[in-house]
Parts: sequence; C-alpha cells; structure tokens
Amino acid sequence: MAALSPLELEVARLIISTLNLEGVVAEDIDPDAPLFGEGLGLDSIDALELALAISNTYGFQLRSDDTDNARIFASLRALSQHIEQRRTR
Amino acid sequence: MSRQWVKLPERGTGAALGLIYWLGIRLGRTTGRLLLYPITLYFLLTAAIPRRASREFLRRVLGREPGYRHIFRHLLCFAATLLDRAYLLAGQTERFDIQIHGGQLILDQMASGRGCILLGSHLGNFEVLRVLGVTLCHFPLKVLMNIDHNQVITRFANALNPEIAATIIPIRGPETLLKARESLEEGCMIGTLGDRVVADDRIMHCRFLGKPTRFPAGPILLAAMLRCPVFLAMALYRGGNRYEIYFERLADVIVLDRRQRQANLQYWTQRYVDRLEYYVRSAPYNWFNFYDYWQEDGF
Repeated sequence: MAALSPLELEVARLIISTLNLEGVVAEDIDPDAPLFGEGLGLDSIDALELALAISNTYGFQLRSDDTDNARIFASLRALSQHIEQRRTR
Repeated sequence: MSRQWVKLPERGTGAALGLIYWLGIRLGRTTGRLLLYPITLYFLLTAAIPRRASREFLRRVLGREPGYRHIFRHLLCFAATLLDRAYLLAGQTERFDIQIHGGQLILDQMASGRGCILLGSHLGNFEVLRVLGVTLCHFPLKVLMNIDHNQVITRFANALNPEIAATIIPIRGPETLLKARESLEEGCMIGTLGDRVVADDRIMHCRFLGKPTRFPAGPILLAAMLRCPVFLAMALYRGGNRYEIYFERLADVIVLDRRQRQANLQYWTQRYVDRLEYYVRSAPYNWFNFYDYWQEDGF
C-alpha cells in the first residue's frame, strides 16, 4: 500500500475527526480505496458533513453538479488532489 | 430483509398503477373509482404481503382483529389516492376539495427567502402537496426520492407531468445531499419522507403505536447539518374528493450536541414519530406502507 502524502494524511485526519470514525487510523487508510459504499463505507450524510468540513478548512465548496464527482469521491487520493487544485486556504 | 418493501409493494402495485392511471384518465374519475372496487378486490385476494401488512397495521392501530372489510377499505383508500395522483399530475386540481391547515407557516417561511425541510410520510398522499406547491403556488420545492426502485411510478409521473419530474432530487451517490444543500441555499423547500427505512439508512428506534420501531435518522441529520427549520407536512385523504393538508413547525433549528448526539437525534426523531402517530390515528386507512413494517422489532 502506498504511503500517504502530507495533504492526504491531513485530509484523512479531517475525515476521521469530522465523521467520528472510531478505530480508524489515518495512516492506515488506503489512498486508492473507495471512500463511499465500499472501503471506508461512507454514505451521503457523511458526504455532506465532509463537504461542510472541507469548505470550512480549505475555503471552497464541493458541488453536486461537478461532472468530475465520480472521480473526486472515488478515493482519498482523488479527493486530496481535488482539494489541492481548488483550495483557497 | 429491510430491502423487502423496495421490491414488493412497488412491483405489486406497478401493474395496477399503470392500469389505474390509464383507465382513470380515459374514463374519468367516476368510472375510474368504480373500477377500483374490482381491482382492489383482486389485490385483496391475490396479494398476500400487502394484505398481511394491512392486517398487522390495522390490528395495532384499531386495537382489535381487523376483518376483510377493514383490509379492503385500507387497500381501496390506497387505490383511490393512486387514481387521484393521475389527475393531480395531469393538472386537474380543481376536481378536489383541498383544505390547508397551517399554510401561513409555509407562506411566512417562503417570504423570508430561507429554505426549509418539509418532513412528510407515506401516510396519505404527499403528491397532493407536491403538485399544489409546484404547479399552483410555484413554490420552489424539491423532493428527495428513491427513484431507482420506483421506476414504474416514476415513469408514469414523468409522462404525466414533466414540471413535477424536474423537482426530484434522486437519492443516489454521495452528491445527493450536496444537491439538497445547494437547493436549500437557493431558498428551496426540501421535501423528504421520514417513515421508511431503506437498506443502508442510519436508524433510530422510536416508540410508534406502542411498539419499538425503526425510523431513518437521515431527515433530522440533514436538518441539523443545514441548520434550517423543519416543518411537518401531511396530506390526508378524507374520502370523496376531499383532502386535508397539515403543516406544523417541528423545529426552528436542530442542534446536535457533540457529546449528546445520539440522545438529541433520538429526541427529534421521536418528536416526528409522535406527530406521525397522531395523524395515523386520525386517518388510519391512509397508512400506505404495505410491507412488514415491524420486521425487526424487539431491540
């Protein structure tokens, strides 16, 4: 399993603290595993909660009409890359 | 097991629904309503799961063993509202005598320009509310809906009224509630039904008709995250061409304390369930959850 980049680790920690994922260690998250459904098993309520946290932390909004959503939500790595591109802080 | 309703009632009513819509629009409401009697009788005799579900529910709400005539009346009430849905979607609202209670709450909320959540149920016909809101009042209303396992109903509804079809937010994938948030920020009302648990829903156990019952936690969680008011919305069929719509303020804002999240969630979900029970008792034959509602009871 690939090691996490600093931003991936930061986003992993944000996910864990925002969603109260007990027993999940940031360093152990597979950056290429799915976040929703399989993998971490997040649902649409988690997605909204996470989107709110991302907008507070990184200063931009995830949008429902982004045609890249399937890719953005696919994994920790993809989400982190998207944050890297869009962050305003 | 909890997927049971997904396939059964929709499949069971799917064929009948097509028939009812087709006949209803072509033959008119009077003839359509007469035809509901043999159609309902057919379902009473052949559809074991809705029949069993109806009996179980009526036994609980009436407090005695229901007879076939009660179950027939229950299924007929459902069929009548399905037929009326065809007229409503076709824009024929003038056929109906619709009384609205608490409408000022919604008018005031809309005037404020802020969005809100309309929390409904499968008690009665939410479609009445939707059609009136969207086509007559031009309220910005979006409805969260499971459309994937609801295809027959959705297809007919879309064909009858594309304007209504455009107001659906399909429950599908992580962006579902992002869409709900964006709509709310534009000042929309978000309609959602709080009385059915679907496969992966987070659940709360609430007291309902004297029994521990599972309810989805989603609507209250959504309201808490979006920090918006929640209004209870029920549209009950009162027989003939009469409908009554009820609005109540359930919460101005729902705050889930981080340390007491579960307890707060429980409190608000139970508040909804208590009001639901009140309306269920006022119109028991409007209960349109024809599946084994208490399947995993006893916790």
